[in-house]
Amino acid sequence: MLETIFIDIANWIRNLLGSAGVPALWNDTVMMLVKLTAIIVFILINALWLVYMERKVAGYMQARIGPNRVGPKGLLQTTADIGKLISKEIIIPKNVDKILFLLAPVLIFVPPLTIFSVIPFGKNMMAIDLNIGLFFVFAIASLSTLIFWIGGWSSYNKYSLLGSMRVISQMVSYELPMMLALLGVIMIVGSLNLSEIILAQESAWFIISQPIAFLIFFIAAVAECNRVPFDLMEGESEIIAGPYTEYSGMGFAMFFLAEYANIMIASAMTTVLFLGGWLAPFGLTFIPSWLWFFVKMYVVIFVFMWLRWTYPRVRIDQLLGFGWKVLVPLSLANIFVTGIGMYIYRALGW
Amino acid sequence: MFGKGLVKGLNVTWKEFWSKKFTVQYPDEQHTKPPRFHGKFQLNSDACIACGLCANACPNGVIKIESEKVNKKKYLTKYVMNIQYCLFCGMCVEACNKGALRFTQEHDMSQYFYKDIPLVFVDREAPKPDPETENKEKDDDKSKKAGKAPEKEGQ
Ligand code: SF4
Ligand code: SF4
Repeated sequence: MLETIFIDIANWIRNLLGSAGVPALWNDTVMMLVKLTAIIVFILINALWLVYMERKVAGYMQARIGPNRVGPKGLLQTTADIGKLISKEIIIPKNVDKILFLLAPVLIFVPPLTIFSVIPFGKNMMAIDLNIGLFFVFAIASLSTLIFWIGGWSSYNKYSLLGSMRVISQMVSYELPMMLALLGVIMIVGSLNLSEIILAQESAWFIISQPIAFLIFFIAAVAECNRVPFDLMEGESEIIAGPYTEYSGMGFAMFFLAEYANIMIASAMTTVLFLGGWLAPFGLTFIPSWLWFFVKMYVVIFVFMWLRWTYPRVRIDQLLGFGWKVLVPLSLANIFVTGIGMYIYRALGW
Repeated sequence: MFGKGLVKGLNVTWKEFWSKKFTVQYPDEQHTKPPRFHGKFQLNSDACIACGLCANACPNGVIKIESEKVNKKKYLTKYVMNIQYCLFCGMCVEACNKGALRFTQEHDMSQYFYKDIPLVFVDREAPKPDPETENKEKDDDKSKKAGKAPEKEGQ
């Protein structure tokens, strides 16, 4: 019952529309809209919660309590903050490219929303079941870099420009090891379909069979999300706030919330690719699969925050050097070892 | 080993995450203040003799005192401290011979309006001098002077 609750709801709506005499095409369209709305609501609520959680985790790691005044236990803090940001003026500085400047914060939510439509939240729970899901996710994820670049370029500010240049150089140098690390997983599964990747982890999660790939992927994911220790794009001590420098009010808030949406994607992908997605470990199947997915995702998110409040920021040359000189060769070696291992396994007849 | 320091760092923050928090939830809980805390002032206007020592001792001219003579005694009519200029050095409290001026433990002296900041301890009219006692005192004075004057001359 609990396991299939969301699927049941979806079927119920579908049947309701069917019995009301809605044509099949319209029925499918409505279903798709319902699913996407559910995803948008899911992302926004989670983004709000994550800002709160981030501040709480930061507080706890610094022997503080964190926000605890607005609402019960400070739960409404982010809501209040967003309310404040909405009511603020969006200042458009002189000489900015107005259209692009305003377009960037609007577009910034598009890649995360698009990606979430293919992520399996639970058994048979994905809005769209793409058989090149993995490829799709990373193709779209790289797009958000472009939007940072739009924001930085149109701001007509050297700090914004520097920040967005950093985003791009970071993306170029970390996308590569990330994909190469994933090749090991793809070789084992033989498919780019996210559900099949999850099902292939039935016996052992890929974090066990591909630990190096996991490490490389995770480090690259942190870098892709522009999180500490790789948050060079908004290194406050050097370039103020990077691409966000000229943004105020809701424009800034959109970037801010999108950062958390990106973290959710990175942790959801880590969960899907290495932590068995919605598969229940130790045969604890009485807990519904979507809950498992959610729990695993939040564990990964916690690790993200843990890293952020532990490490200082690296330098840009260290970042690029680490990406090209350590991660890329390591991921290539991983592919090599995985290939040999697979041959040995096949030769042994397993 | 490479990465040892990273793990160590994570360990520190992990422990800190579960440790006791230092935050004092201010309006609900407060730190206990030391007994000699320099907080808001308190004036015992009955003990004060309007001598002005405190005003003289103050390096910033915070204290304004006005007094009138009533029945040959100084009567305190106004005692205002412009504490926006106060250093809380405690010179005034130390200077007071009568122990009329004191520090309290209260530290919250913020106000919504600037005009509310000065502490007005005394702002009152001097009582009408009582003619009888005044005359009597004058007589006393005269007799004293009269009595004393010859003595002085004699010396
Ligand atoms: S504490 Fe110091 S500055 Fe303040 S009124 Fe007394 S003498 Fe003046
Ligand atoms: S020193 Fe003491 S007695 Fe004298 S005026 Fe000040 S408060 Fe009053």
